[in-house]
Amino acid sequence: MIMKNYTKGEILLQAKDLSLSYGDQCILRTINFSIHDIIRPGFQQGQVVSLVGRSGIGKTQLFRVLSGLQKPGSGSITIRERKPTENADGSIEVFHERDVAPGDMGVIFQNYYQFGWRTVRQSLLLAARQNKALAGKEEDAIRHYTAQFDLSGTLHQYPRQLSGGQQQRVSIIQQLLKGSDFLLLDEPFSGLDVCVLDKVVELLLQVSLSDELKTLIIVSHDIATAVAISDTVFILGKKEGLPGSTIVREIDLIERGLAWERGVRQMKAFDDTIREIKECL
Amino acid sequence: MVFGQILLTLVLWQSCSGGLIPQPLKILSAAGHLFTTRLLLDNVLVSLLLTLQALVYSVVVTLLFTYLSVIPFFHAVAQFIVKCRYLTLTGLIFVFTLLTKDGSQLKLSLLIFGIVPFFTTSFLSVILHINKQEFELCQTLGYNRWQMLYEVIIVGKADQVFEIVRQNFAIAWMMITMVEGLSMSEGGIGALLIKYNKYNDLTNVLALQGVIFGIGLCFDYLLGVLRHWLFPYTKL
Repeated sequence: MIMKNYTKGEILLQAKDLSLSYGDQCILRTINFSIHDIIRPGFQQGQVVSLVGRSGIGKTQLFRVLSGLQKPGSGSITIRERKPTENADGSIEVFHERDVAPGDMGVIFQNYYQFGWRTVRQSLLLAARQNKALAGKEEDAIRHYTAQFDLSGTLHQYPRQLSGGQQQRVSIIQQLLKGSDFLLLDEPFSGLDVCVLDKVVELLLQVSLSDELKTLIIVSHDIATAVAISDTVFILGKKEGLPGSTIVREIDLIERGLAWERGVRQMKAFDDTIREIKECL
Repeated sequence: MVFGQILLTLVLWQSCSGGLIPQPLKILSAAGHLFTTRLLLDNVLVSLLLTLQALVYSVVVTLLFTYLSVIPFFHAVAQFIVKCRYLTLTGLIFVFTLLTKDGSQLKLSLLIFGIVPFFTTSFLSVILHINKQEFELCQTLGYNRWQMLYEVIIVGKADQVFEIVRQNFAIAWMMITMVEGLSMSEGGIGALLIKYNKYNDLTNVLALQGVIFGIGLCFDYLLGVLRHWLFPYTKL
């Protein structure tokens, strides 16, 4: 096992004492975790974090809370926002910490939902126009991403004319064009055949390498694929005698030499990790 | 199949009827005669113009109240308009006569009053059944409330507004004959129909009914074609 040179920098996202209940039913209980900026000398390395858990454990609820679409019952989610502002003394402060709000995260829903009345180009343009950094260069950015994601030929098609894989890529590009540092994906591997699955994994890795602060949060019950692509895995489960789900384990895959490895599935440590996760569920 | 059934009905009608109910060939001949005169064309144009005018005003009023129905005060107003479907026009004609300045305005306002509750009911139902994900996608894109309203309700539901217009054109077209009877000086297909009916000219009455039916079907088809052309995704 070759140890890779890396350091963990600032906290990019922090969930603190997060809880969610519906009436008397506790869904999520005191969830605490943080995602750090991973710095690899010589690489533009983003972060890929997976939240795994059994079906019905509350993954989708956690996904909605993280995305800002649903307010938690208690607790908070803080993100480190890249927004250069000038202080009173004239110094420039680039990063600010604040609570997550709808629109902060790029969200890719499980069914890759897109507006049925907009063509691919129009949908992407809607997102690009929300990104001030792309002002005046929206069309160029769309051309660049669609070429990179093999979607140039679909620009004038409607979502219903696209395959599932194409719709997923459009959703990803749309959220990338919006310019959020965080990309939240709900079950991105569900219902994909083996060939498409490999392509999606490759695509997500490509996205994670596109920017130092790009952070992918994958919510999935496909443990093997989630481990193969991530640098950190959080396991959502239940603790005996306590209501609701919480993070029962954090696994640092970098420490185990399982992150950023192409042939990770062939490694013994990979199988051991999968077994370990399954035991936690 | 349908053509065969129609043909069979017409043959049976032709062979069995007599007396007071005119035979199809007689009606056809009367319709042919009507088409050769300017009378029919002029009156049809008057009626069509009035119907289209009423449709445009009704759409504007409907959209205004349904878009504003997101505000609690206007929600109650929109709900009241929906309930107005159960009001009959008969007792209200005098009130409308007092409120309007001439026959033309009376007909137009009655048509609008008759159409708007049905438009509002259909459009509120469309808004009520909007997929939650449409709003959530807007939220993830960082849209504010007005951007959401524009994207999801105005742009996103434009095709359904058009479909509601198509479906409710029938109501307007059905009402036209009734309101034209209230002020016959400007003519119109309804006025013509009442005139023939007054003299028990059943052949011409049925010929005119056929013309009204045919125009209604043509418009239904044309609006369908126009909808597919304007909103190509509705064909998918």
